[in-house]
Amino acid sequence: MRMPLRLVAVVAFIGLCTTSLAWAQGFKPTRPVEAVVHTGPGGGSDVLARAVAIMIEKENLLPVRMQVVNKPGGGGAVAAAYLAEKKGDQNTIGFFTGVWLTNPLMSAEAKISLRDLTPIARLVLEPAVIAVKADAPYKTLADFIDAAKKNPGQLKQSGGSITSRDNVVRQLLQKNTGTRWAFISFPGGGERIAALLGGHVNMMVIEPAEAGEHIRAGNMRVLAQISEGRLPGFPNVPTLKEAGIDVPAVPQVRGVVAPPGIPKENVQYWENVFRRLTQTASWKKYIADNQLEDGFQTSAELVKFYDEFTDRMRGILKDAGIKIVR
Amino acid sequence: MQDRTRNLGDLWSGLVLAALAIYIIAQALQWDYLTPEGPGPGFFPLWYGMAMLALSAALVVSELRRRSARGTAINWTPLGRALSTWLALAASVALLKPLGFVISFALLTYFIVAVMYRRPLKTAALVAAASSGGFFLVFQLALGVSLPVGFLGF
Amino acid sequence: MEVITGLSDGLAIALQPANLFWCFVGVVLGTLVGIMPGLGPPATIAMLLPLTFAMSPASAMIMLAGIYYGAKYGGSTTSILLNVPGESASVVTCLDGYQMARKGRAGAALGIAAIASFVAGTVGVLGLMLVAPPLAKFALAFSSPEYFALMALGLAMVVLLAGSSMLKALLATLVGLWIAGVGTDLFSATSRFTFGRMELLSGIDFVVVAIGIFALGEVLANMEAPEQAQMVPVPKGLRNLLPTLQDLKDCRFAFVNGSVIGFLVGVLPGAGSTIASFLSYGVEKAVSRRREEFGTGVPEGVAAPEGANNSETGGALVPLLTLGIPGSGTTAILLAALVLWGFKPGPLFIPENPALFWGLVASMYIGNVMLLVLNLPLVPVFAQVLRLPAYVLFPLILGVSMVGVYTVSGSLFDLGLLLGFGLLGYLMRKLDYPSAPLILGLVLGGAMERALRQSLMMSEGSLTILVARPMSAVMLLLAVLILLVPLFGKFNTWRLRALEQKGG
Repeated sequence: MRMPLRLVAVVAFIGLCTTSLAWAQGFKPTRPVEAVVHTGPGGGSDVLARAVAIMIEKENLLPVRMQVVNKPGGGGAVAAAYLAEKKGDQNTIGFFTGVWLTNPLMSAEAKISLRDLTPIARLVLEPAVIAVKADAPYKTLADFIDAAKKNPGQLKQSGGSITSRDNVVRQLLQKNTGTRWAFISFPGGGERIAALLGGHVNMMVIEPAEAGEHIRAGNMRVLAQISEGRLPGFPNVPTLKEAGIDVPAVPQVRGVVAPPGIPKENVQYWENVFRRLTQTASWKKYIADNQLEDGFQTSAELVKFYDEFTDRMRGILKDAGIKIVR
Repeated sequence: MQDRTRNLGDLWSGLVLAALAIYIIAQALQWDYLTPEGPGPGFFPLWYGMAMLALSAALVVSELRRRSARGTAINWTPLGRALSTWLALAASVALLKPLGFVISFALLTYFIVAVMYRRPLKTAALVAAASSGGFFLVFQLALGVSLPVGFLGF
Repeated sequence: MEVITGLSDGLAIALQPANLFWCFVGVVLGTLVGIMPGLGPPATIAMLLPLTFAMSPASAMIMLAGIYYGAKYGGSTTSILLNVPGESASVVTCLDGYQMARKGRAGAALGIAAIASFVAGTVGVLGLMLVAPPLAKFALAFSSPEYFALMALGLAMVVLLAGSSMLKALLATLVGLWIAGVGTDLFSATSRFTFGRMELLSGIDFVVVAIGIFALGEVLANMEAPEQAQMVPVPKGLRNLLPTLQDLKDCRFAFVNGSVIGFLVGVLPGAGSTIASFLSYGVEKAVSRRREEFGTGVPEGVAAPEGANNSETGGALVPLLTLGIPGSGTTAILLAALVLWGFKPGPLFIPENPALFWGLVASMYIGNVMLLVLNLPLVPVFAQVLRLPAYVLFPLILGVSMVGVYTVSGSLFDLGLLLGFGLLGYLMRKLDYPSAPLILGLVLGGAMERALRQSLMMSEGSLTILVARPMSAVMLLLAVLILLVPLFGKFNTWRLRALEQKGG
């Protein structure tokens, strides 16, 4: 009679030891990780997430696969709500962009902000350049501003929605220089570029990677770059500050979040994964190839950045005449 | 003689569309019609709302004028059958979250075969099982497309 | 000539056994994806991207392109057999294709669709090969005023789709315009008609509306009298299993029409294959001798839109490969794929990567042939689907619709919307409201509003910009003329009647 009891006790003891051993090792994902993005296939976040998944696999940073899940809609609201619903889920992360930060400010329906989720890390900053058609009469940003001063409201810029970074840059420039020009929204990047190259608008704010080929073919000219320092691909183009316009460089940010309610050690685990990612050679190559700026921040820094960013955006959007709801 | 479904239908659909048009116009008036940059969000809705109001009013008026047309009583049975199928479909969508796709769809198929088509219950059960199983195999397993899963895990 | 050397180099690449294999895989996958409603080429290509890193870029591009144009072939199958649009552009094929099937001519419809797709697809590739650079310049000259005029022309076609009651057709179009307006306004960030629901912030997906109104509406209508359900008859006899010579003769113009319109519309960034198929259908109906029969099952009504949505593929590749500008969802992800493989799509892409370009072009010719060979013999096989008893087929359609919508967004809310539109489709059928104008309004409404507002912003509020530019002026004139056609008809009958009364 005593034998079975002792057996049970030994088994229980061993079981307890192994479990606590697992605890001591900390969190590790055991199922494929879901990476939620708010665009459809081919969109900005989707491309980044897929590239990250490939790099993580190449550098063996995760014991499992990362799978991209598209939850498009509502300018990020659907994806954010999806993550919020997955409270406590340890196998899901999301790739956020600036839209996730600004959307809740203006849209009553977008109820989930980054504060409601668990911030993990900020990954990249996407700088931009101000481009005009190659045969335009503007050689520098000052030329364009002068022309705008002489013809208020007649010059045109193509860009995305009125809340996109393109318009934010326009608002800042207009306020800083006391000029005014029109902003025409096009839903697709292709249409914006076509409008510029076809001569229907005068200027646009465009990502360096997108502009690269058109500049090389001689169809586009870059007047200034919107970044902290000069990008390696544009050594001869002044930044906004160097061009004499003292406005903050408005970055398009991308980073990682997780659903609410996950334990602190998970946050640290993910932070570490992404910190190691940004230190790998493939990541550095990716940044260089796509002309991004490394903007790694830990979760604590990300929270601070989020607060600063949203406060600044509230002011800018209000100036642009957009109703702020939060 | 044609039954009066059309006549009543024209009247009611005209009224419903007129109500929708009024709602659209009311909303459109709350938004900017013209902004310094160009037409605002209220511009287009106001115009097509007004067009909708005018046309639906014309429909209602032309139907009221035709009131003298005689027709047989409305046959509600076919309408009832279609609507009850729709309700079954709605129920199966509502059950997707708790029960998962396989079971909800099987129930829906069973309903259609047994109740709508009045086939023997065994046939209904067979068809229901076969098609929901087929969907599971083709979509979930072969294509890896995730279907809603209920508490049973499939 | 440069074209000939390029093409022969390309053929040498495309005919390599590995590339032939991947081309085959691509077109078969594409056909399957096209048959399945909801699942489309962009999502499929995205899923396969990681696998492409193991292949050479040429093979990968050949396969992905195969999926792209293969899907257009497959989309017509469910449209014709089940009235379920497999792909958004196949909506127009439902109009006459399904009616042909109801008349027992499903085989002929499927065959015509395959042949039209082949002819137009080949023309599209020819266009890509021969006129890409000058056409790209044309695409750049096309801007918002021209887009507006094009959409207006498309909407004017509602007149041709009206059927018995013009009043109801116009009301349906307006409802379509309204549905298109649901969502966040691009220019002012105002949410319109979202009823406080975040899922409606980016609007209602076209697939949900189309499948709801067409497929679900059809099933519900059939539930009215299930025992006497007019099942789609299985085509009997060779005459109905394949298109006849007479059919092919009737479609002569439709083949040309579909090829040209589809290609030109495809070149324009932002205009899609749905617009191309509607325009082509409208033009075909306008010039046809038997235009009153459209909608009851005429082969030209299948050939024109099917051709258009296939040559649109070739057209959409023009801005992608000559300018690096993606014009649609699928070309956007192809662009992303090219970037991921290390290429730089842009104006210098073709001169710097001639092997890839010509290999792709050559493989598209081969792919179109493969698809024709695959699809034509399969027509009688597909037609046998109709042998299934109604009580098996209709639940299947419901299931496929639900799964199709769920795979697009994974949202139960969209399924709820599907239910709503299904009910709407049934009621529209019952009350004699034509559904094609609603779809037309939905497809064109958003684009038209955007184009108008962009134009007015460009001209600082002056409407003259729409008529000051030659292309938009011509298209607007055409639109006005089309709208006046029924009036001419009425005027004529009135005049004749007056003459009769006088004479008698």
